[in-house]
Amino acid sequence: MSREVHALAPEEFLEEVHSFEFWLHSVEGYLADTEFGHRPGAVDTELSPDRRERLITALCNYCIGETAALEGASGLIGFAPNRQTKIFLATQVVDEARHLEVLMHRLSELGVADPEREIQRRATRTLQVFRRRLLELVASKDWEAALFAQNVILEAMEFAAFQAHARNADPITREVLEGVIKDERRHMGFGENELGRRLAATPHVRARLAQVKRELDPLVLETFEEMLAELGIPRAERPELGRNYLATVERLGFTP
Amino acid sequence: MNDTVLREVESEAGRPRQRFILEDTGFDEVPKKYRRFYRRLAGPDDSLALNEVICPVCKVVIRSTRELREGDRVYCMPCMSRLVVVRSDAGHLEARVVY
Repeated sequence: MSREVHALAPEEFLEEVHSFEFWLHSVEGYLADTEFGHRPGAVDTELSPDRRERLITALCNYCIGETAALEGASGLIGFAPNRQTKIFLATQVVDEARHLEVLMHRLSELGVADPEREIQRRATRTLQVFRRRLLELVASKDWEAALFAQNVILEAMEFAAFQAHARNADPITREVLEGVIKDERRHMGFGENELGRRLAATPHVRARLAQVKRELDPLVLETFEEMLAELGIPRAERPELGRNYLATVERLGFTP
Repeated sequence: MNDTVLREVESEAGRPRQRFILEDTGFDEVPKKYRRFYRRLAGPDDSLALNEVICPVCKVVIRSTRELREGDRVYCMPCMSRLVVVRSDAGHLEARVVY
């Protein structure tokens, strides 16, 4: 039996949770028996043509978000501040690649013959603008701003949007999204905690990040709100999307 | 979730602190050796035991082998957060992130 987790020293804890070993044994728990993100042999339910269309549009936009996260996370490794952080980001890159793959596979299962072309055709303008801006921040090697855009803004929105969608999705899409959400917990938490530590040590960074926030969060919020409305997610569940994100930035000391 | 109370120890200001044996709750997002320290929130009617708090970052229930009190430090492994237990304005215990 393991010792009390909460008795670990802070450095021991961070070393443990940022390790490839921790990642490997974590994902093993929920992905070991799946194929493309869901149980093999799970039977698809028949969707009405309208519902299928809406689902395809949502999944196409999720693919844009996941591609941005994949490109962003892999770029961040090059200028991450230490080896522990680089190792964690490597696990995130693998997660994002898996998300993109299972979402594209889900599009195929729904009868989309050419997912790549369909993604380009259905992508919303706001999410494409976000992706472009995120990659500019990564290219400029601005660690705090790029991490904020990717692991706080994008991941917190995705976390809430996927949860709301999963609650209202067909069984296979739900299983796929639930696996993604479990990964997003790590990415979102890493972003908030890493930035929280950076802001505590270098408070002057806050003004720059506030500017990034003002520029980027409406793009992502608008995209995911549109998606959830498109999917017919009850209005009562949609404010959760903004609430989760606002709570995160508030903890980091940003006012809405 | 109610875990088995093992014994009461660590008298603190005259009030003993309960100890718990943690059972596996089926939480599968961390390596096996850590799973008993976490569980999913079972919905709005779910109530927390004396050894549990909710992670404000990812909403997983964090569990300890001992009754939690103000000032205790706990970790949320699923989202990698360090937390401290505080008493809320409403009077109940909650976790706050420590960066």
